[in-house]
Amino acid sequence: MSEFAAYTIIGLSLGAIFALAALGIVLIYRVTGVLNLAHGAMGMFSTFVAWQVFYGYPHPGMPTWAVTAEAVLAGLAFAVVLGLLLELLVFRWVRNRPQIVKAVITIGILLALQSAASLIWKNNQYHLPIYLAPQDWTRTVAGVPIGFSSILVVGVTLALAFGLGALLRWTAFGRAMRAVSDNPTTAALWGVRVDTVGAVSWMLGSLVAAIAGILITPLGINFDTTSLTLLIVDSLAAALIGGLVSLPLTVLGGFLLGLLETYPTIWIQSLGFPRLIALVVILTVLIVRSPRGLPGAAR
Amino acid sequence: MMPGHIVRFVVAIVAFAILARLPAGLDGAFQFDAALALIWGFGILSIVLLTGYAGQVSLCQATFAGVGAYGAGMTVASLHGGYLLGIIVGVLLAMVLGVLVGLPALRLHGITLAIVTLGIALVFDKYVFQDHLFDWFTGGSGGWQVTQANILGISVDSSKHLLAAYDVLLALFCITAVLMVNLHQSGAGRRLRAIRDSEVAASTMGVNMTRYKLLAFAMSAGIAGLGGSFYPLVAGSVSPQPFWVFTSLQLAAIGVLMGVRYVPAAALGGLFMAVVPDVLTRYGHGAFMGRVYDISYDWFQLAVGVLLVLQLILLPDGVWGDIRGHVARVRGVLPGGARKQVRTA
Repeated sequence: MSEFAAYTIIGLSLGAIFALAALGIVLIYRVTGVLNLAHGAMGMFSTFVAWQVFYGYPHPGMPTWAVTAEAVLAGLAFAVVLGLLLELLVFRWVRNRPQIVKAVITIGILLALQSAASLIWKNNQYHLPIYLAPQDWTRTVAGVPIGFSSILVVGVTLALAFGLGALLRWTAFGRAMRAVSDNPTTAALWGVRVDTVGAVSWMLGSLVAAIAGILITPLGINFDTTSLTLLIVDSLAAALIGGLVSLPLTVLGGFLLGLLETYPTIWIQSLGFPRLIALVVILTVLIVRSPRGLPGAAR
Repeated sequence: MMPGHIVRFVVAIVAFAILARLPAGLDGAFQFDAALALIWGFGILSIVLLTGYAGQVSLCQATFAGVGAYGAGMTVASLHGGYLLGIIVGVLLAMVLGVLVGLPALRLHGITLAIVTLGIALVFDKYVFQDHLFDWFTGGSGGWQVTQANILGISVDSSKHLLAAYDVLLALFCITAVLMVNLHQSGAGRRLRAIRDSEVAASTMGVNMTRYKLLAFAMSAGIAGLGGSFYPLVAGSVSPQPFWVFTSLQLAAIGVLMGVRYVPAAALGGLFMAVVPDVLTRYGHGAFMGRVYDISYDWFQLAVGVLLVLQLILLPDGVWGDIRGHVARVRGVLPGGARKQVRTA
């Protein structure tokens, strides 16, 4: 029974990562109409920037928490700049192109970011995690030890989901984002700055991807350039459960997928098997839920 | 119609005659590159058919090639069949997988199809090609070794007769390319293009969507599998690495980069994908003006990514499409209107 509970904790932490990454995908897709296949790669690159600050050079005389904070802030700042640059240099120029063309452009970005990262940090080489808290910080609930990193990742995911939801629902800027997502032309006629809204969405999406990447490292999951890039498939599965629109359903979908991928590992010792579950979830959702394609897919 | 057929046939014969002996004077590594260029050329040809003709997106073409490679390897190394049988098994297995991928494609298109095929590429890369459950198909972590092989009495194994394998591949590539151009003009090709331009309009006009979508996926997977089934022959063994998910993404990227609607772009793309990384890793290190540099394979993928983004913004019809447009404008066939019919992916 405690084994089952332990796997539940792992599944929930993993699911929180999927949910977090999926939130960024949904945000960018809803507002700008770009299905960002490079989302995992963007998060990966920002995570490695944080890793570089954490391990890359000595921090004489700085307490551990300050080094951690510096690394995390560097990674997040890089993510925001990356998102802004991608919007300014690439996606602003292709706004009226077919949706699939924009998705193929993100494949180019994925390949470029992935190979740039393997040039700098070497491919297929595992990296030490960025410890956000001492490893022995655990709480024991009903005989099951729960690591601080698990609590942190679930908490951050829920907080960010509620935060993004509140931003979209209750702020003027969120209204502008929803207006652009419904119809960019009409929104522009109503005086919404479509360019600004697009840029902020990319910065936010990239930031969320970086948070997901940085939070996954202490969970003890394989951490190299390709594995983080390929998280995109699991995140897409979670995002599809939310129909690429709904934030609450996306978060639920992420947790569900995390559990679905974790429980079989009690019996099946296979690194690749969880990918099959993600594919089955993707197929099930696409074929059962929306036979006519996705909302906004005609744009 | 007839003159067009004859011209294509003559072009293919001449191309074969020129290219068949061309790598003979090169060293072994370049002969390997030439054969690999054809294997990836088949991969991009399969994208031209599926995406350029039928408008279906696929990010798992390297998976089809991998299934072809493992099918051929398994037939030859484990079942002790002839290599011709191996190729047939490889192509058939790839076509079966193509139909299976085509089934969800009956209800999906555009980005949803991209997501599904990306998932399939990842499942085959991390699970089917690497898990012990499928050792009977993949030959375990060592893969299949192919040292002795002949096709219809011609020795084609990689150790001594790499050039013979290259010539067989080249002949098949020329035949497939001519058939693809002919398909473009045929009734089936028109129906596929109707599906690409508008699925609703095509089905209103009476195009059997189920048949033609599945046909496109089966043919495309078969073409990719045909190239892949030569991989054990050319490389001497099979491993998951050449057919992992990033190869699928690269194939799609290079196909779009070179011009996804044009058959010659496949040859161009295959050559680019096989030769450029090898030249980079072999000659890309040294010192320039006192600074030591070392260009590895990753620089190639970086360049592909950046070029793809630039191409989609600046030259939507791909490299070959752009060249074609310029030539047509110079000849006055399409006065300034070559970009009118631009439609990528």
